[in-house]
Amino acid sequence: MDPILLVLIYSSVAAAAAGVGALPYLWHPEPPARWVGWSNALAGGLMLGAAYSLMVADVGRIPPAGMVGVVLGMVFVNRLHAASGTSDMDLNRTDGTDPEYGYQVLLINAFHAGYEGVAIGVAFSVSVPFGVFMALAIAVHNVPEGMVLTSILLARKVRLLDAAGLAVATNASQVLMAIVVFALAGAAPGLLPWALGFAAGALVYLVMAELLPQCYRQAGHTSIALVTIVAMGIVILLRGGGA
Amino acid sequence: MSLHPVLLVFGFGLITALATGLGALPFVFVRSLAPRAVAQANAVASGLMLGASFGLVAEGTQYGGWETLAGGVIGVAFILATEQLLQRQQEMTIGRVGGADARRMVLMMIVMTVHSFAEGVAVGVSFGGGTALALVIVIAIAVHNVPEGVAISAVLRPRGVSIGGCAGWSIVSSLPQPLMAVPAFLLVDTFRQVLPYGIGFAAGAMVFMVFQELLPEAYDQGGRPSVALTVTLTLFGMLVFQQYL
Repeated sequence: MDPILLVLIYSSVAAAAAGVGALPYLWHPEPPARWVGWSNALAGGLMLGAAYSLMVADVGRIPPAGMVGVVLGMVFVNRLHAASGTSDMDLNRTDGTDPEYGYQVLLINAFHAGYEGVAIGVAFSVSVPFGVFMALAIAVHNVPEGMVLTSILLARKVRLLDAAGLAVATNASQVLMAIVVFALAGAAPGLLPWALGFAAGALVYLVMAELLPQCYRQAGHTSIALVTIVAMGIVILLRGGGA
Repeated sequence: MSLHPVLLVFGFGLITALATGLGALPFVFVRSLAPRAVAQANAVASGLMLGASFGLVAEGTQYGGWETLAGGVIGVAFILATEQLLQRQQEMTIGRVGGADARRMVLMMIVMTVHSFAEGVAVGVSFGGGTALALVIVIAIAVHNVPEGVAISAVLRPRGVSIGGCAGWSIVSSLPQPLMAVPAFLLVDTFRQVLPYGIGFAAGAMVFMVFQELLPEAYDQGGRPSVALTVTLTLFGMLVFQQYL
């Protein structure tokens, strides 16, 4: 199969997985705040594992351009989120109904999905098996992320089916970025180390700035730390340590 | 050199331990207890420890993935048990520092000291594997120890420990290196089997300490974006440092 078709299929699977996050609400319409905290910790741990595989397992050592890419990725996310007024927002506030917050939450989810798309595209450029692995890791990561978004939307009286649809729709940027980055890296292989660094820097920054901080207010430090480290460990174990 | 090889290994191990003390140097001008300084110091320690753990895991899995994982699980359990013990000491004070700060300082020392055992074994095993590259290995490990001293000082210094104290405690945390390097050198084959467990233990304990103690405090005391920038930069900085030196 044409590799770009594989990128399309797998990144679409990852995007669709966000809708799965709506399923628990069929049985449990109002999950406790702890669950939302754990979901974010789970998403964060999986993402750190993915960053590990980008920078350690599958490239041996970070190329110099990769380090510049890391700084670019981190600064890009920091600046974009500051410029769009989303850098200090609580990502999982389920109370309140102001429309501005609702719009920002959708926007930031679309941003997150974009960076994850870069990671998928980059991984496919390294090798097809690594791309498949990355897409599946991001797919699993999207489930708890979709769960958090659904819980925010439900609190705003959005119907469950619409919430699931919105969760998937915000991940459209993932498919787009995966294909764009894969095509670019294919056309100009010199870009690959930069893109690798960019993706890894962006993912780690997201975890540290946006996924982990609020978790600690919604569940105990110990349980958050356990969920994060287990999620991270599973990704690393599945990928093999490498290097 | 006519020195006995055991003395040589011990001496080299000692040099690497002393290098840890250099990590206190960047903190000569830091003495405030300002919340933002604490947050940034915690962020530096978190990034360095996460980066170091990434490097350790990459090394451990070369000896055995499942063994490294088992070591990691034991490492996390060890920290949980240690915390239980420390929490019973409600009245614990160190100098003028008490409560959660004192507990965090003690935990940091325990984590970093215990992790040095695994590093000491790594030194000894690599010597046993052929002494041709011995000096290179010693220099590499000594250099690696400096950021570990930085991480320790980053936790101790904002809580009022003097520069000399930070350097001293950093060196103490590395003393298991020469002590473990010698038996590992003499019994390479035995210790090579233990190594992935030790490495997993060290990584698990450090990562858990970061997620449970250091990061939440950093978020409490500082802005999320600035903490995240520092963690990300130091994490990758540490990785590059380990990969190229």
